[in-house]
Amino acid sequence: MAESEAEVPKAKPRPIVRLGIFLISHSCLFSVICCTAGVLTLLLLPVLAKNTYISENALMPGSANPMFSSQEVSEANRLVKSLTSLDSKPVGSGIESQRLIAEYMSDLGAEISYHKFYPRSNQFHPLHFFSYPDSGSTRENVSCISHGLNTVGIIRAPRGDGKEAIVLVTPYNSLKVGPGEALSLGIAYSVFSLLTQVTWLAKDIIWLVADSRYGEYAAVNAWLRDYHMPVFSGLSALKAEICPVSNVHNELKENSVTERKINDGFRRAGTMATALVIKVTDGSEHFEDSLSIYAEASNGQMPNLDLINIVNYLAVHRQGLRVKVEKMRSLINCKWLKILGEILQSLGHVAKSLNPQWKFGIPAKDYVEGAATLASSLYYQALGVPTGPHGAFRDYEIDAITMEISSRVALNNKARKNDFLLRGGRLIEGVIRTVNNLLEKFHQSFFLYLLTSPSKFVSVGVYMIAFALLVASLPVVAASLYADAHKVDPSFGIDKSTPQASATDELSITPRSCKWLNAAKKVFLVHLWGAVVSFLPYFICQIPSCTPTTSFVVWVLLSSFSLPILSLILGSSFSYGRPSQPQKRDWTLLKSVTISAAFIGLCLMSVINFATAEIGALLMVPMCLMAQPLKLDIRSRKLRKFLRVACNLALGFLGFPPAGFFVLKGAFEGFGGITVGDFWSWLESIWSWSSATYLYIGWFERTRS
Amino acid sequence: MVLHCYFHSLGHSRSKELKGNPITFYADIVNAMLIRATGQNLQMEYTRSLKLLDHVKLSEKPGKIIPSGDIAALVYLWNPFTIVACVGLSTSPIENLAIILSLYGACKRQAPLAAFGWVIATHLSLYPAILIIPMILLLGYGTDTPPRKLFLQRRNVEVGDNPPNDRCCEREEVVHRSEVPHVFSWRPVIHFFCWTSLWSVYVLVLCGISVKQYGGLWELFKRTYGFMLTVQDLSPNIGVLWYFFAEVFDFFRNFFLIVFHGNILFMMLPLAIRLKHRPCFLAFVYIAISSMLKSYPSVGDSALYLGLLGLFVNELADMQFSFFLFCGYVGVSLLSPVMHNLWIWRGTGNANFYFATAMAYACLQIILVVESVSAMLNHDRKLRKPLTELQDGKN
Repeated sequence: MAESEAEVPKAKPRPIVRLGIFLISHSCLFSVICCTAGVLTLLLLPVLAKNTYISENALMPGSANPMFSSQEVSEANRLVKSLTSLDSKPVGSGIESQRLIAEYMSDLGAEISYHKFYPRSNQFHPLHFFSYPDSGSTRENVSCISHGLNTVGIIRAPRGDGKEAIVLVTPYNSLKVGPGEALSLGIAYSVFSLLTQVTWLAKDIIWLVADSRYGEYAAVNAWLRDYHMPVFSGLSALKAEICPVSNVHNELKENSVTERKINDGFRRAGTMATALVIKVTDGSEHFEDSLSIYAEASNGQMPNLDLINIVNYLAVHRQGLRVKVEKMRSLINCKWLKILGEILQSLGHVAKSLNPQWKFGIPAKDYVEGAATLASSLYYQALGVPTGPHGAFRDYEIDAITMEISSRVALNNKARKNDFLLRGGRLIEGVIRTVNNLLEKFHQSFFLYLLTSPSKFVSVGVYMIAFALLVASLPVVAASLYADAHKVDPSFGIDKSTPQASATDELSITPRSCKWLNAAKKVFLVHLWGAVVSFLPYFICQIPSCTPTTSFVVWVLLSSFSLPILSLILGSSFSYGRPSQPQKRDWTLLKSVTISAAFIGLCLMSVINFATAEIGALLMVPMCLMAQPLKLDIRSRKLRKFLRVACNLALGFLGFPPAGFFVLKGAFEGFGGITVGDFWSWLESIWSWSSATYLYIGWFERTRS
Repeated sequence: MVLHCYFHSLGHSRSKELKGNPITFYADIVNAMLIRATGQNLQMEYTRSLKLLDHVKLSEKPGKIIPSGDIAALVYLWNPFTIVACVGLSTSPIENLAIILSLYGACKRQAPLAAFGWVIATHLSLYPAILIIPMILLLGYGTDTPPRKLFLQRRNVEVGDNPPNDRCCEREEVVHRSEVPHVFSWRPVIHFFCWTSLWSVYVLVLCGISVKQYGGLWELFKRTYGFMLTVQDLSPNIGVLWYFFAEVFDFFRNFFLIVFHGNILFMMLPLAIRLKHRPCFLAFVYIAISSMLKSYPSVGDSALYLGLLGLFVNELADMQFSFFLFCGYVGVSLLSPVMHNLWIWRGTGNANFYFATAMAYACLQIILVVESVSAMLNHDRKLRKPLTELQDGKN
């Protein structure tokens, strides 16, 4: 409906056209209403959250009685004891603990293999998003000295065909086994020992004891990569050539346990249905034993909601654990949020008194908690960095969560400890048994959702409303600006042309509809600059021996230089020496093009990563709508204009620091190569920001000139 | 301008040599050059007809008439779709080459070349078979001109008007008048048909020899044209047919196959009647329609018709929704790989996500065709306007 303005509305146009014209002519009001409604809906999301339910019927959680008994608990205690005793010995190197675990595993009759991996430096691939995860792994430049060793145990299911598997992951530091890690190993071991005996198992069980010396994520990711990418003999020979020392080392170790049935090669067990990462922390809880669920994987992906539902259901209704998800603590004490919650509560009461059927009010405390959880959920999804080792699984389309079980008191008391182990073991047994019932992959429930509490969620259909309302003003404003630009134009044309020439002028070939091409070129240039700037770190990373500060400085210098170079190449100038009328028209067109570009970008981002798009939209939409050329405003000295300038500058400043902050953080974490397994997702998220923010820099630059 | 063009194609070549796919790359370059030559031809005709219609001011103003051939060639070369199709080693540049070759030959009124291009294009992808109508019109009437009625009207005006004794001008008029293609000339058309039958026999014989041991020509037709017409491969592409035929019941399949392919054929005749004075534009419309409705469309097809769209930049300058279309094309071409990724690799989306972008793309193409045709008709109306005013003034 954008250009319907151009038509002369003599004949009554169709209703939809009239609606379009109406919207365009009232675009200012419309955009204000839309933005407000968008923000309000976002604030209402905790109220609109629905209770979770288990969508897949085949799961039948908790339908069987747990078989986990005190016998398994004693097994767990045995392992924990020997681990701690091993730890107290000063000579025990990293290898010892793995050998111990492998011995325990093989006593149970499981297949065991070691998986040796080298920690890889994080690399950013510009096209990572579209390629298969880690397809470029052939180029290995690893140091042979440092390597981690995962221990993998596999139970073959008595009733299965070996096509499917469930994965248990217990990350632990092989150099220094902490008490919590020992306990998590103990729980996993006890469950594992139980599963060797049961008859109902239809999927193989893989227990991955991940060596988290170089980070939990790296270990799990390396194992998954090797699991999904078969290494052929030629390549392994090559590897052996590269690292002969460690290979010998490996053989030595294998000789020492020859009597065990330890397999030399990599063992596999079909596609993975689910992965559970088990962790134990102790002594931090005040009230009761609790279970924290971490689900955010890389780039804002979430596991299927059914998995969280199962864990939540079994933990709450069977084991009596308190389930938590991450929440933003700073928001809980927020005053305005509390007030808002109370307003909503009273509104709900009023609605209930009007009609008892309306039950949308929730208590203020619930609202505040829900909002805090929602905020953290949004934050972690927007960040795009996985919150634990489960993030590695999502890249291979495997649903995984981290379950962090924490006890109320320090586990010194033996009875307490046994009780704790029993509950934890029963929970995991229950989850595995439920997933074991699954006939196909998790597909029934949601993948796109936000959690407001462990048992409440906001589905994609609901939270998209908030986003759509927020963004809806952009195309309308773009259309109205575009129409304005065309309205300004004919008057200008007629002023100059003599009446006699008007006949030919009417059919003149001035490309009326193609005037936007110039503006589009400018916007394209600035976007290109944004892209160049955000891809620069990839090349800067290649420079060896660089401290974060110098590389950051190099980045800033290069990016500021690249804009003039680009504009030189593409031959577009930023200088204007023309009268103000066409300049204003150019400006309107430029703004319209920019807004439409921002709209496309935001819609694209909302598909890739909703949370990033939502936060970006919150910042960008007001900026887009308020932006005005500074020069024109300053010329006409009026209070209103001055206010607008101040507003613009403030918004521009507001829009810039987050980008600066993000960029800084990304630069330091990425260049330092500290932890970020998903530097690319950082950059991806930054990119969507930056291209927009750079636009504003571009705007201000050219409006000031 | 030539230098400019070559500079660009050089830059283009450098960007493509990275991937090392010489055939498609050279096909693209040849395509661009042929489009450019066709565009120059069209433009010459355009200025000539404008002069005939006495829009002298218009035709003489420098910069008013954009060199459409260069524009079209540049649009074709720099179109991201072309680059993607070329880098992706698609065969569509070669199919496009055949189509453009036939158009070029018809514009230059070289029946053998046109026939060769048409036969090869039809042989390669079958859908260009419908281009035979614009071919005949091109060979019969010549390239794109304003409607013939205008010339007649103009002549009437001149006859009624007693020109001042400006003899040389009058003689020029006479010369021009004789040049105006009023009648359908059958000779080149018959030539074209002869050459067509010759080339097709030639191609068929060659094919017959090469596939003799694999079951002969009939098997070839079944495996190629039959495969195209019966939409057996339902792997997702940017068209809409794969989804539709994955969903449709088997016993309706034949019916819908007929409907979908009939759709193209139904549109042919009315368009040919309405646009018979602009056969090149008609060819563009046909290509756009068939690339929208064909069974396995690719971005290479869109690259072709977007490039051809550049040929009519003078006529279509007043096209509506151009900005909207541009935004839509950018949005869809960015969104559809993301949706594909979401569906195939990440597993969080499903087929509907990707199909939604395919539908949006089809809608955009429809809007493009409708708007360009209406803009072209409006342009013709505009050309008529001063003539009618002149006539009214006289009466």
